[in-house]
Amino acid sequence: MSSFITLKKSDPEFKKHLYGSFSGDNIAIPVATLNLGSVEETITFEIKKKSDIKKPIFLILFFNMIKIKKYLLILVPLFYVLAKNYVDGSMYDIWSLFLAACGSLFLFAGINIRNDVIDHITGYDRVNTSEELKPIQEGWLTAADAVFMSWAFIIIATLFAIPVMIKQPETAQVVGVIIASVLIGKIFVRKSYKNQHFGELLLFILSGAGLVSGYQVALGAGIDTEVLAFGILWGWSVLFLLHLNNFRNLLTSSQAGIKNTVTRLGFDRAKKLLNYWWIVFLLFWFAYHHFYGSVFWSALSNLILIFWSIPTLIKISQIQSPVGSDLIDAKLAGYRNFLLMNGILILEFGWYVGTKNSWTL
Amino acid sequence: MNFKIFSPQDFPAYLPKLNLLYDDLFSGGKGFRSKLVQIVADPLALPLETQNLLCQTIEFIHNASLLHDDLVDRSQLRRGKEAAWHKYTPEYAVLAGDYLLARVMVNLSQFGNIQLVQFTSETISDLLEGEWLQDSVVGDFFVSLEQLDRIHHLKTASLFRWCLRAPLMAQNNFDSELHKNLNEMGTILGQLFQRSDDLLDYNIRNDEGKALLGDLKSGYLNSFGSFLVKDFDRSSIDQFIKSTSMDDIFKCYSVDVVQGQNIFNQKVEQFDEINTKLINLYKHHLNELDQKMKSPELLKSLGVLTDVLYWRRKPSH
Repeated sequence: MSSFITLKKSDPEFKKHLYGSFSGDNIAIPVATLNLGSVEETITFEIKKKSDIKKPIFLILFFNMIKIKKYLLILVPLFYVLAKNYVDGSMYDIWSLFLAACGSLFLFAGINIRNDVIDHITGYDRVNTSEELKPIQEGWLTAADAVFMSWAFIIIATLFAIPVMIKQPETAQVVGVIIASVLIGKIFVRKSYKNQHFGELLLFILSGAGLVSGYQVALGAGIDTEVLAFGILWGWSVLFLLHLNNFRNLLTSSQAGIKNTVTRLGFDRAKKLLNYWWIVFLLFWFAYHHFYGSVFWSALSNLILIFWSIPTLIKISQIQSPVGSDLIDAKLAGYRNFLLMNGILILEFGWYVGTKNSWTL
Repeated sequence: MNFKIFSPQDFPAYLPKLNLLYDDLFSGGKGFRSKLVQIVADPLALPLETQNLLCQTIEFIHNASLLHDDLVDRSQLRRGKEAAWHKYTPEYAVLAGDYLLARVMVNLSQFGNIQLVQFTSETISDLLEGEWLQDSVVGDFFVSLEQLDRIHHLKTASLFRWCLRAPLMAQNNFDSELHKNLNEMGTILGQLFQRSDDLLDYNIRNDEGKALLGDLKSGYLNSFGSFLVKDFDRSSIDQFIKSTSMDDIFKCYSVDVVQGQNIFNQKVEQFDEINTKLINLYKHHLNELDQKMKSPELLKSLGVLTDVLYWRRKPSH
């Protein structure tokens, strides 16, 4: 049998309940929030016995925590850097790249867990609910445990990064830029998590050019225009996913006063933004392949992507409501576009590697 | 209480059809929302004239929303009578709704409590947003309960929040803790009322004999409907939305109607279970309110509301 407790932000128990450190036997799950993000914030928690919570097996919990589905975002660029440099004959320091890749896997896990904690503490996950299971919200583990886990992953990532920076000092510069950006972002988040414009820019840089440049210098191959062009292409596509997600949360975000590109534009213009964003992505794709890809892959991938994108663009333009089911359909269609693009990239660069090794089918 | 007239200037006799239209509209309502206002206003010992103003304000807003709603939904009947837009014209129905909202502002501003005017304006704004959003999901048979809750939070619950908070505001009591409590309670009551009303559509606790599957036939999947189809595949949803009787609904679960009905009843129990949790949350807020207000009369009156609104029991039970 559960019970409820309502706490104000000024109450010393408030933080303890949010972090789950108020009791050893019970867990507090926020069920209602008032005046979110203000000094007047009040949360009603449902207090449940830890033993009453049905937890999934450890592996499912763990994969949910680290957001395994998002790993494509760092693994595909890693594959790209490996394949490109293998074809170019510039695999100078494979061990450093291996360590950097391991570091990025742990760092990504740490950041994803940390994001969940921040969403839980700021209340973002109570404003914008999602179809994904959120372990802290489900009561599978406390926010305090998650903080511990995220720090552990970040420390392991740092341990992997140190030898890379010693062997490839250029990496330190990239890491320095990334840390500076994250710190600036953190200041912005502290100031107000509701203003997400800087976060969008940061995501574009870090997930695109920042990530591939990091891999590239760890390999000792240096940054070139092709890598930067791919970084822009990749960052642009990651931002498309972010805009799609923000569009799904348009109503709740707007009501909570959250500012991002989608909420600024509103329902009708945001639909156009999503479509134009993907069309610009296709142009970037075309330009990248024009300069760096083979004619065959350029023609084939453009045709497939354009053909596949048309229904998605129509679906997005036909969304009727900011609360209806077609929002989720459109989001899934957008994700499928992204996955298709990933599939093409892997096949294409696998093809280049195969061609170099004279593989035959 | 006559909900129609607060001030002699409310509805000028020289405007054609206006008073006939309002006579039809105001004559059939149960006045539930104004009773809710009185439940809170009585223990506060608000002057009778102030209570009248608040009761009429909420009835004006509610009736304005009905005038607009019927037109948006193209419903031909309201409270067993021909709907205003159908009987008069759509233009008159829109103007009559607007006029009611304008009278609310005139009467409330004369009362001179600017916070109450602001709160009322916000409530009307929420209500309209809810109606707008509801219209945007008509024909969407994949909409989730959570998405519908967002609409009901604006459309239905806004008026319940107003009913609980406005009497305190009229008394110049702006204690933020009290208002937070009442706000939460109003939200829960609104949600429970809406869900219970949606259950009537599927003949659950339908003692008042409401027409069955009305929402579904108008292309609107209500909260209970969205709960029922949650795990359905596309073909089952197709079958569900073509249902014209409860037997058709039962057949969505099993070709054997009796077995289908048993499964349907289990779904009702599961839905009730979700809402029992909401009722427990309401009781928690009620206890908190008790500690702040120390008004046993108010506590008693508010305590039975979940029974009346969700379980459709008579207050004396």
